Amino acid sequence: MKSTKFWAVLIGVVLVLSVAVAAGVYLWRGVGTMACIYQNGTLIERINLDTVTSPYELTVTDRDGGENVISVEPGRIRISDANCPDHVCVNTGWISDGVIPIVCLPHQLVIRIEGGGNSDIDIAVQ
Amino acid sequence: MKLKQLTRDAVLTAIALTIFMVEAQIPSLVPIPGVKLGLANIVTIFALFAYGPKDALLILLVRVVMGSIFSGQITTVFYSLAGGLLCWCVTVLLRKFLSDRQIWVASVIGAVFHNIGQILVAIVMTGTPGIVVYLPVLMVSGILAGLFTGLCAQFLFGKLRNLGQF
Repeated sequence: MKSTKFWAVLIGVVLVLSVAVAAGVYLWRGVGTMACIYQNGTLIERINLDTVTSPYELTVTDRDGGENVISVEPGRIRISDANCPDHVCVNTGWISDGVIPIVCLPHQLVIRIEGGGNSDIDIAVQ
Repeated sequence: MKLKQLTRDAVLTAIALTIFMVEAQIPSLVPIPGVKLGLANIVTIFALFAYGPKDALLILLVRVVMGSIFSGQITTVFYSLAGGLLCWCVTVLLRKFLSDRQIWVASVIGAVFHNIGQILVAIVMTGTPGIVVYLPVLMVSGILAGLFTGLCAQFLFGKLRNLGQF
């Protein structure tokens, strides 16, 4: 049977560590312009646009074969090609701040920029 | 199961469910799913130390299943079950190493394992291992909430034992 002091110290250490890690995660997530790609409402990819050095592309495919080609460049992101019927996502063009997300409704795909990406615009209405 | 035991467990389950439903009406302070006081666990922890693992498990299972039905959020049953069962296993083990004045320790460590269970289910259900970053946040809330509910259970345990209730 350990003393109460032992348990108090153990729990205190775990609590301090958790606070430190939680704060670290918060700071780490807050730094930089993070492009978050959601499919069917779940986060499938987080890209830190500030650390991108050379442009690249990635393709996101949904279960029904819907494809979106996503272009990533330093500080900005867009959907460059898609096989959806309306191409609203492609026509949204490049985004670099959190004002307007890119949405591809037919493929349930959303690209939203979170954290950083300071913009002079607070909100936009379409 | 003896009639007395059945009645006692039924009453404890009813108390736990009532506490659970009342707590569910209180808006959350932090907009993170999984962060809550978990006041109903006072009953589980108390039952574990006062009556043993079997009674605590029965009360826990009935409260979790019925609580998710009554609150209308059936999907939460998986999170609560995984967290609750993991928490139960750990506290049953810890019980052997703790005195009556260290009930809060079992509650705190149980709460942390409850959070670990929740996160594991969340990872499996959403298929995104990245949400493990929420674990430290949940652990901070779990430790504080576990401390509170554990102390409540410990005081309750002390009072009721002095009254000769078990």
